[in-house]
Order: sequence, then C-alpha cells, then structure tokens
Amino acid sequence: MKIRAIALNTFKEATRNKIYYLLIFFGVFFVLSSKLVTLLTLGDKVKVLKDLGLASINFFSVLIAIFTGIDLVYKEIEKKTIYNILSKPVSRSCFIIGKFFGLALTLFVALISMVIIFFLFMLLFSGEFDVRILVYFILLYFELLIITSISLLFSSFSTPILSSVFTISLYLIGHVIWTFNEFKDKIVNPIIKTISYILYYILPNLEKFNIKNSIVVNSDLDSSMILGSICYAIFYISALLILTILIFNKREFK
Amino acid sequence: MKAIEIMGLKKTFTSNFMLKKYNVLKDINISVEKGEIYGFLGPNGAGKTTTIKCMLGLISFDSGESFICGKNSRSLEERKKIGFLPEHPYFYDYLTAKELLCFSGMLFSIPVKKVKNKAKDLLKLVGLEGKEDLKLKKFSKGMIQRLGFAQALINDPEIVILDEPFSGVDPIGRKELRDLIISLKNSGKTVFFSSHILQDMEMIVDTVGIILEGEIIKQGKLSDLISHSVQYYEVVFKDVDESLLKSNNIGFKLKDNNYITKLKDFEKLNYIIEFIIMNHGKIVSVIPIKMSLEDIFLKEIKG
Amino acid sequence: MKSKLFIFVVVSFILAGVFQYDYDSHINYFSEKNIFVTLPKGKTLEILSFGFKNFVADMIFIWSIQFYSNYSLMNRFEYVEDIYNIITDLNPEYKAPYYVGSWIMALELNDYKMAIRLLQKASKNLNNEWDFDFESGYYAFKYLKDYKLAEKYYRKAAGKPGAPSFVKRWQAHTVYMEDNLTYAFKMWLEIERGAKNKLEKNSALNHLYQIKFEIDKNNLEKKVELFNQRFKKRPYNLEALKRKGILYIIPKDFNGDDYIYDFKTGKIKAKKVFRWKKFS
Repeated sequence: MKIRAIALNTFKEATRNKIYYLLIFFGVFFVLSSKLVTLLTLGDKVKVLKDLGLASINFFSVLIAIFTGIDLVYKEIEKKTIYNILSKPVSRSCFIIGKFFGLALTLFVALISMVIIFFLFMLLFSGEFDVRILVYFILLYFELLIITSISLLFSSFSTPILSSVFTISLYLIGHVIWTFNEFKDKIVNPIIKTISYILYYILPNLEKFNIKNSIVVNSDLDSSMILGSICYAIFYISALLILTILIFNKREFK
Repeated sequence: MKAIEIMGLKKTFTSNFMLKKYNVLKDINISVEKGEIYGFLGPNGAGKTTTIKCMLGLISFDSGESFICGKNSRSLEERKKIGFLPEHPYFYDYLTAKELLCFSGMLFSIPVKKVKNKAKDLLKLVGLEGKEDLKLKKFSKGMIQRLGFAQALINDPEIVILDEPFSGVDPIGRKELRDLIISLKNSGKTVFFSSHILQDMEMIVDTVGIILEGEIIKQGKLSDLISHSVQYYEVVFKDVDESLLKSNNIGFKLKDNNYITKLKDFEKLNYIIEFIIMNHGKIVSVIPIKMSLEDIFLKEIKG
Repeated sequence: MKSKLFIFVVVSFILAGVFQYDYDSHINYFSEKNIFVTLPKGKTLEILSFGFKNFVADMIFIWSIQFYSNYSLMNRFEYVEDIYNIITDLNPEYKAPYYVGSWIMALELNDYKMAIRLLQKASKNLNNEWDFDFESGYYAFKYLKDYKLAEKYYRKAAGKPGAPSFVKRWQAHTVYMEDNLTYAFKMWLEIERGAKNKLEKNSALNHLYQIKFEIDKNNLEKKVELFNQRFKKRPYNLEALKRKGILYIIPKDFNGDDYIYDFKTGKIKAKKVFRWKKFS
C-alpha cells in the first residue's frame, strides 16, 4: 500500500510535468516525419519507416527514462518533500521501490502511447501489423527499466547533472560493451584480465535488448535469447535496486 | 513512561572538502512527559532541527539513545505514533490539498475511505475548508503551513512534533496555531515543538528546553523557571501625598497621576501596601514582574 | 504589441532564411576536393552508432542517393565501393543498397567487376535471395563476356529457393555460349522435362533442336572432311559416309528429319532455322 502510494504519486508528479509530454510529442513527431524521409530513398520504404520510427521511439523513451528518473528523486530531496515521507512509517527501501515502480509506470504509459501511434502509422502507410515489433518494444521496456534503475542509483547520492552524465555514459557503454567480449579473452596479463572480466559482467549490456535492427530485416527471433535477456534485466534491476537501497539507507538528509 | 526521551545524543557532521568535523550536537538530553507541550527553544543553528531529524531517523547520530513511549524512536513501528511538521514545509505543488492528505494517509497504511473523511475534518480544523481541490501551487505560505499541520495529524498521532511551526505565519495565523496546539493538548496529545520565537512559546508551553550550540543548557517546567525569578513587584497607586513618600524614603515615578514603585523585596511590599492604605491612598495594581523567557534565555547565553 | 512582436519574429526568421540562401549559393557542399576527411569502417560505425545502426545505415544510404545523383561532381565515384561497403556492413540484410550501389557502379561508373563484388556480398549476406547472383551473372555475361563466370553465378542463382525458371534457361544458354554443347544439351533436356508451360517447353525444344544440330553439324562436317582426305573427293550424300564405314548411323535432327547436305560446299544445314542467334 505504501509502495503503491509512492509509486502513484511518482507517476502523478512525472505526468504533471510538461517535459514528459514534450518528449513523447517529439517521439511521435519523429515517427510521423519518417514518412517525409522516405521520399528521399529508393527501394524498401517500409524498412526506412520502421527504422526511423523505432529509432525515434527508442531515443525519446531513453531520454524520458534518464531524466524523469534523475529529476524525480533529486527534486524530492532538494525540495525536502522526502521529509514528509521518511518521517512517516515508511522505510527507505519502501521509498526506493515505490519510486522505481512509479517510474516504471511512467515509462510504460509513455512507451505505450508512442507504440500505439507507431502501429497506427504503420498500418496506415504500409498496411502491415508486425507482431514481432511488439517483442522489440517489450525488450525496449526492460532496457528502459535498467536505465531507470541506473539513474535511480546515481541520483540517490549525486547531483542531477552528474547523475545524467553517469547514466548517459553507462547507457552508451551498455551499447558498445559487446565489442569487448572477444577482446577481454585476448588479454594476457592476469590482473588486467580479471579486472576486465569483472567490468564486462558488471557493466550493463544493453545491446541484447536492441533487436530493432534485426527485426526490421525479418530475421528470426530466438525465443530463448529473448527470455534470457528478460531474466538478465530482472536480475540486473534487482541488483541495482538493492545497491541503491544500501546507499540510500546511509544517506543523511541534512 | 515518558513520551519522548533523548539521552546523551551526539552528532558530528563532516564537511565534504577538508574532512573537518563539526560537533553539531554535543550532548542532548530531553525528556517530555505525556500530555504536555514541550517547547524546544534555541537560536538559529543551535541544533534544534538536527535533534528532531535524529529522532525521526532522517539522519544518523554518533552516540546516545532516543525513545518514544519507551521504544526506539527510529523504528518504523514507533513512527506510526508521530505526526511531524517539517521546517518550511514544502509539498508536491502538483497535488491538491485533498490529494496530499490522502497520500500522507496512505503512507500510514490507513484505508483510503477513512483517510478521505479524516482529510475533510482536518482541513476544517486548520481552516482550509473549500480549498480541498485547489492545487498547492496556488497556496500561500501560511496556507501551506496549515496544510502541513493537517498532514501531521492525519494518523491521529500520540505525539506531534512541529519544527518551527510559527515561522512565516502572520499574527492572526499564530493565534490560531497556538489555539490549535492547546486543543491538541486538551485532546490528550503530546506536543513537541521547536521555535526561536519566545513569545509564542511563553504563552503555551508547559516545559521548555533551551538548546545552545548543541547542548541543552536549561530544561524545566516553565512555571518553575519563571517563578524562581520574579524580578520585582510593581505597585501602582494614587492619591498619596508626594512629600510623605519622600520623607519615608520611597522611590517613585509619576505617570498619568499614578505613582509607580518598583520593589525587589517581598517583605517591603507588605510595608508599602500598608503604608498606602494608612495614608488613604488607592492601590491601582500590584504586579509581580517575572523574568520573561527572553530574559532567562539571554541570561543563559551570556552567563 | 504582441502581434507586432510576432511579426518581428516572422520577419527575423525570413531574413535568417535569406542569409542561409545566400550562404548556400556561395558554397558548394559537395566540393570536388576532399570529399571525405576520413572513412570509418562499417564495424567502427556500428560500434559508434550505439545501437542505432539501422538508422545510421539508412541515413548514409539516403545521403548516398543524393550524392551520387549529383552530376556536377566528376570525382564522386572515388569512394563509391567504400560507401556501399559501410552501408552494407552496418545493415547486411538491407537489400536496397546492394541494388542501388551495383546500379551506380555498373551503369554510371561501368565498373562491372565492382558491381559484381557488391552483389556477391549481398548473395553471401542474404543467402536465400537468388536475384543478386542472377544480376551478377548478367553483368558477367553481358559486359564482361566471361561466360564461365556468368554460368557460375547463374548456377548459384538457380540453386536458391524461389528462383524462377528463366534463371536455369539463362544458365543453359551460358553453357551453350561456352561451347560446352553436350552439357548444354543435357541442361535443356532437363529444362524441357521440367517445363511448366508451353512457352518454356517450346523454348527448350528450339534450343535442343539448335544444339543438336550444331553438335551433329560439327561431327558430320568432320567426317565429310575425313572422307575428303581419304578419297580425295567429297561424298555425294551422307549415305556414302555410312557405306565407306566412316559413320555407322546417320544422325537426324531433333525432330527426326534428315539434315540437308550440300555436296558442293560440304556443309550441313538444318531443316528449321531459328531467328535467334548467339549474343555478340
């Protein structure tokens, strides 16, 4: 009940902020404007429509995940509204988990509204409804949840600007870390090798959620890999949330 | 059992840059009886808010203990008994008054339906009727303070902790707030409030604790603190011959046809009163001028 | 007041646009010098795209279409292969860049080997598509005149699922062009047997008739020459070859008719003559 109250309040706060609608609006805007871009291309126009649509939904939903996540926790501390919560019989873990679910709900609503417009748009211009794209959106949602928990972690002890820099960096790292998969095996020095192994497995690997590139060109989906990615997300998020709670428990609200 | 008991509370803050330590709370001992109004007095920066935050578990402390009704005040269970109004309260300005109270109530796991009724009553109590559906963005500072008061009472607490409730409230609001605090006391609640404004405190508190630079320097019943320190008696009278007074070595001041005499000695008071009556004078008033809280406060700081 | 300010904003935007237009008229965005500062590899760009590789591929592809249709730039083809390699590295399953790239390479630059290289990359990446191999075969056949190479590509194309029947006919024809007549005959026989409609069947029959004629013609003309060497004169008719033991059976054409032998020249002719002839 307490978690639900905090989650709903977080959702309310996010959705009563204009930035939230602005980012959704831009996401939708770029989905729609992909129609214009197809005028410039030759060959498979539906592919370009899908590419641009998915890319813009991805980009703007990630922005929402980063900025609402950081903004909402920091504001709570900065404006001291957190005193009202933590002076009540609400544990700090309860607060963090409530925040997380509130952000998850916020992201869900943002994503689903962009997705609905995307599908309507695709139906209108290409007449097809590709259910496999829905699988991509599910995976994207899990990626967004990881990003949110990263931003939650950083904003539990850092300032908003630093938190955004950290979160964006981790997001970018998360999309290139697959390149170190083979590289880490080639290191000879055992100490560096150990460190790089630890880093490789500790840093988020987000590229596995990114099936938008392959889904557009009709390659087959591997259901066991998708399930594995979702399990990865669940464990990774749990780890981040527990870490956030541990840090947050130590935090003093001067 | 004491409502609030704090023993030997110590707290140091470490500054981020030089790792320099500041002793914010040196040795705090507070005990608040059930059903009384406890005034926590001290200048800005003395450690009032820090003490309250330690008590509520918002910050950690180095050593000491803090109890509420005999149990650790930092446990979640005990916090159900507390209502808290923070200093300069700020609430989510995108919520309406009703929504805020419902949210607060839900954090106490009170069923929604019950909270809604309670919210109505509380808004009436603090004089915010008809403002239920107004966004807090449009609230004035005084209204926010009242709302903060209402949300502190949402769980029907045994102990109400108010951090600087009078700051930023206009004189009429202060009067209402004082009445509210007294009504809380009358309904059997313990009220603990901090302030640096003496006048408000003097009028309502039962017990006062004075904090200065992280130490409680004086604590006791207000009546005890003040009765021990009657400074002088002021006797106002008229219709007595001036020369008689002079010849009997009685000092006086003349004001609006009244003579005013200040006496430090209790024995001399009787003598003066008898003297006036015997000389057919009329006594207008006899006032024991007590030491005000302010005087005690200043004396303690200087001494 | 507000409307005045609004007009001011609009006017300012228009003026800014005028200056942009002026700037554009002075500068040539696609200048002849230094078309590209550096060309990253497709793999590098894939990493740098941070998961948006399809988007990046689309953008480069769209840019390339505008760039290569800008005819004022004489040296625009300098890096054409690299550009399309980048796009197709980023997005190996994207068909359009292979087509467009190979068209640019073949039809604008006339570098058919380069076009075939790109098409073969496509054939490797899109293993189930027959048309990249077919197109490679066409360029090899039509422009490089390398019938062996063309036959290799046609064979590859014919072996892929969904390849239409004409691919196999093209393959058979290239085999014929290689002068591997017996193999061509065998192939056309297969085509004739597998034919699904009258057109295919007739086409195959025509080819079979022609190829059988050519095989028999070569053979017969050689025997005639042998006769000539042995008896110092040409045979009066083909029966003479059989009589003298040079030939055991006199071959007939595909329809079972006799070939026409010209005693004066020693040449063989078929009864039917088809209008099509070898591509040259």
